[in-house]
Amino acid sequence: MASKFGLSGGIPDRRIRPIWDAVDSRQFKNALKLSNALLSKYRNSPYALALKALILERMGKNEEALSVCLNAKEILCSNDSNVLIDDLTLSTIQIVFQRLDHLDKASSCYEHACTKFPNSLELMMGLFGCYVREYSFVKQQQIAIKMYKTAGEERFLLWAVCSIQLQVCCGNGERKLLQLAEGLLKKHIASHGLHEPEALSVYIALLEQQCKYADALEILSGKLGSLMTIEVDKLRLQGRLLAKAGDYAAAADVFQKVLELCPDDWKCFLQYLGCLLEDDSVFTKETDPIHTQKGIESKNLPISEELFDSRISNAVKFVHKLMMEATNNSERGPYLALLEIERQNLLFGKGDADKLAEDLIQYFVRFGHLACFTSDVEIFLQVLDKDNKSGLMKKLVKESEASIGLPTKALGQSINLFKVQNLIGDMFALPVDELEDVAVRMTEMFCKNLPLSKELDAQESMYGEELLSMACSVLVQLFWRTRDFGYLLESIMILEFGLTIQRYVWQYKILLVHLYSYWNSLPLAYERYKSLDVKNILLETESHHILPQMLGSPLWADSSNLLSEYLKFMDDHLREHADLTFLTYRHKNYSKVIEFVQFKDKLQRSSQYLMAKIESSILQLKQNSDNIDEEEGILESVKRGTYLTELLNESKSLNFNEQLKLRPWWTPTSDKNYLLGPYEGASCCPTENLHDQIKQTHADVLKTIEKRSLLPRMIDLSIHSASASVKENIETNGSLVDPKLSLELKILLERYAKILEFPFQDAVELVLGASRGQKAFEAPNLVIIDLMNFAVFLNAWNLNCHEITIPNEDNSDSHSSTWNIVNTLLRKYVIDTIKSAGPIVSSPGSDLPFLVQLITEPLSWHTLIIQSCVRSLFPSGKKKKKGTSVEQLNSQLSNEIQNSIQSLCETIELVTKWLKAQLQKPDNEKFEMIFSSIQRNDKGNGSGKAYEILDSSVSSMKDAEVGDRILQALHSWHPADVVRKIVAGQGSLLSEFLKICELKIKSLQVLRHQW
Amino acid sequence: MTTIRRFCCDDLLRFAPVNLDHLTETFNMSFYMTYLARWPDYFHVAEAPGDRIMGYIMGKVEGQGESWHGHVTAVTVAPAYRRQKLAKKLMNLLEDISDKIDKAYFVDLFVRASNAPAIKMYEKLGYVVYRRVLRYYSGEEDGLDMRKALSRDVEKKSIIPLKRPITPDELEYD
Repeated sequence: MASKFGLSGGIPDRRIRPIWDAVDSRQFKNALKLSNALLSKYRNSPYALALKALILERMGKNEEALSVCLNAKEILCSNDSNVLIDDLTLSTIQIVFQRLDHLDKASSCYEHACTKFPNSLELMMGLFGCYVREYSFVKQQQIAIKMYKTAGEERFLLWAVCSIQLQVCCGNGERKLLQLAEGLLKKHIASHGLHEPEALSVYIALLEQQCKYADALEILSGKLGSLMTIEVDKLRLQGRLLAKAGDYAAAADVFQKVLELCPDDWKCFLQYLGCLLEDDSVFTKETDPIHTQKGIESKNLPISEELFDSRISNAVKFVHKLMMEATNNSERGPYLALLEIERQNLLFGKGDADKLAEDLIQYFVRFGHLACFTSDVEIFLQVLDKDNKSGLMKKLVKESEASIGLPTKALGQSINLFKVQNLIGDMFALPVDELEDVAVRMTEMFCKNLPLSKELDAQESMYGEELLSMACSVLVQLFWRTRDFGYLLESIMILEFGLTIQRYVWQYKILLVHLYSYWNSLPLAYERYKSLDVKNILLETESHHILPQMLGSPLWADSSNLLSEYLKFMDDHLREHADLTFLTYRHKNYSKVIEFVQFKDKLQRSSQYLMAKIESSILQLKQNSDNIDEEEGILESVKRGTYLTELLNESKSLNFNEQLKLRPWWTPTSDKNYLLGPYEGASCCPTENLHDQIKQTHADVLKTIEKRSLLPRMIDLSIHSASASVKENIETNGSLVDPKLSLELKILLERYAKILEFPFQDAVELVLGASRGQKAFEAPNLVIIDLMNFAVFLNAWNLNCHEITIPNEDNSDSHSSTWNIVNTLLRKYVIDTIKSAGPIVSSPGSDLPFLVQLITEPLSWHTLIIQSCVRSLFPSGKKKKKGTSVEQLNSQLSNEIQNSIQSLCETIELVTKWLKAQLQKPDNEKFEMIFSSIQRNDKGNGSGKAYEILDSSVSSMKDAEVGDRILQALHSWHPADVVRKIVAGQGSLLSEFLKICELKIKSLQVLRHQW
Repeated sequence: MTTIRRFCCDDLLRFAPVNLDHLTETFNMSFYMTYLARWPDYFHVAEAPGDRIMGYIMGKVEGQGESWHGHVTAVTVAPAYRRQKLAKKLMNLLEDISDKIDKAYFVDLFVRASNAPAIKMYEKLGYVVYRRVLRYYSGEEDGLDMRKALSRDVEKKSIIPLKRPITPDELEYD
């Protein structure tokens, strides 16, 4: 079966090479031509066919590629003895099937080949690869065992063992399978020993998974243990096994040895101390990724007070010894260790807070200039009470004032003082004028210390860079408290100023993304986001800074790009992930196998990934909602909406991979923005509520995903229901709506209402009541959108089942309709929003996103329902002569449709009028309105002070002080440009929205003219 | 206070504060995962208290005969943890593995010719400029191939500088 020399898949190389050359240089047309020529000579060659399929797939002709590849498979799997089966042909077929998402077909080709040549290792390895790609752990195991039996090689046994572990860790396999794996390894070791360090790791892990710690320790200290060549790694493992076996004393000794070799190893110190105190919590893996630091939980340790004292004193002695022996002054390890010991004392109820504070001061004296000082000590500050904290703060300030050192060190210390103050929550308790003073001091400090960065390379971080981010945070807080938007502008100004000097500071850019988003200048926020160069895996962890705002905006093209870039990254990676897992097997890095598979699972279950898939369909539906025929095409591509509900059903538990830590304090999650609500007094410290907020968001995300996934199906059913209701009216044997579809819509409506936490009937009552003006939805904007969506689909459903009848207020026999309810509510919310909205330029955090969503979602779905009715009335799109269907149409329905068109037109016109009024204001006027907010004219208190510092610094800075590069940057600083850009950003956002509205009016007018 | 351990897949979801830095490239997934799958001993991460990522190093071992060497593909430290000799620690670790486990002759790395602060740091760590690679970076900027001899190269032959610059297509490895 092996390829002969000079032949590829049985065809001379010289005929194949030009085809591959063309493929490699992406000349697919030429490649296809050559491949067709080859096929005319080798009509039945599976390899020639596979090559053609590969070219077709690269050209994007997937269906054709699949059919050619299936042909190749058929010939390959026929029992024709003339057909050559070799690995080259198989692997080419495999690649094509993999790219076309038909992994099972590739596997069956290899299965056939393996049956035909049962002892070929090469083919069995190929088949093993197929099963790895399919995540078929049991089949992997079976073929690996077969390979092991054939060749007797250690690596194949390990492939089998890993496959067994995967069944237990990532599949449905029972734990007792591990015993089987252990038995296989034991038997092999007895006869052949072990030769790879990674094989030993797997063996130990296998024993650890079965809690056979003593066995694992024995192996580690025996002959096999010598496979582990890095001594500290071996010791760490030994320590962990001893601790898990409950032999804390021996484990502590081992960790002590590790610390003697690596005195700066923090995790090891925690394990050492954990063993001394017989506290095994340090060995259990942290399951809550949000809050990894459990700083203040007091502990019930299993040891007596005397024992605790003596062990702690041993630890102190040991740490002092480490300090004495330290050769490197920059090692923070032993000093932090003393703090941790003191913290443990406090948690055990024996500590002295003053002593901890004293140690913290000593730590400050030594390391207070480092940028990581505050994050290092965060966990220790948490155990101090309020008084201790403020006492400490005062002492730190004193210490810093007394210390004499290099200016860079002094600056570092001062920055850390601000950070500690922020960390202990003091900033949120300060009165406004003091807070203002903090922002001013921070800005001043930054400007004063600019000369320190004189010699730095243009790409290096500046000294004191953090001061501007911190000042920004303070200014935003001032805005939250006072609603003086001058502070908001100031916060933007100082960040933009910082970027003028050093254009790479990502922290400034992230803050600006959120500030511009909040201030309705989304295009500008997007610009800043793009400059962060978020790509590859960062798309999964950092997209949350912009994606949610964009999805709710009228910037459809940019949103669509964002979504498709992200989805492409995820899809592509998930498709190739298993190939990379196979690589770990082939390079004998077995310990990575489970890690890779678990990681794939994490990405596949990403909540953002699922959300993006759903939102991408909804976005397309929004973009095409003015054209029902286009809309039908989109619905068709998602299996009339059922694809999304299936996606939801398939997704088990969701994973949250977003890095929320990098978000600013005022918007800790994408669905929470403190600035949208009032300042709740000094007791409210958003940073302290972070953990609960994130938990809440995660719970809400699940609901949102379910809710959004139902929309496309409800739209589809509504369109169907609308059209059937018209036909029912105008045709003698009118096609009644399929009762199944009507029932499905009802079920979905009930489910939708349930997600909104209403029984169906209550939701109906709420909608009816609100339309009669009895009670408006007293709910956040997002819930109103949901209820409006509900009302729109309720109307569609009611067109057929007529279950909801509303008596007119005059108690006459005629009935008002659900059409009317939807029209009234849409108009009501638009009017309310416009009435309460101030000028966009000076209304950060306005209801603009709500208005956009109202028009582009419920209102758009409603127009689709109308379009569906009209299409059924006028199938050719033209007016009908009198006496035809329109005439026969129940006059009430006809009136209702016409009235709805009229009403929607008027509603959107209200919006366009408002938008035009906003846009017509001269830019200069808007500019003045914003810029004047920070121009102080000696107004005493209020915004503008920090900005003033920047202004005066720029004019007083001299070349000799800051160097040529910084001076040039300072000269290029034009604050007015910042304001102009904000205004322009707001303008382009409004214009995009206006365009959408105008197109909607146009399409409604076309409908109106059909009557 | 630093814990240095093997880099694992989950770290990819947490390294944004390091990788958002404009000098740190975020490669595609197969790049990271190939390194993890093939040379897990050459991919290490440093963590601070609170499991914060301080920086990481990724590299590989490759070559034949006397060209068998460790290679530093990327080494990076987050701004908050700079000026603490962390890069040195990470580099020493990779050198140690190349030297003691894989018995390589030398360790090499490429650096932009304009990146003066980095070149200075590598020189401090014992690296010398072995040769210049013309237009190595996106066909625009020259790269410097810097090397440090390991114990197996007793006569330090591997680091005798080449007299002429080379072009990227003359490089033995990618």
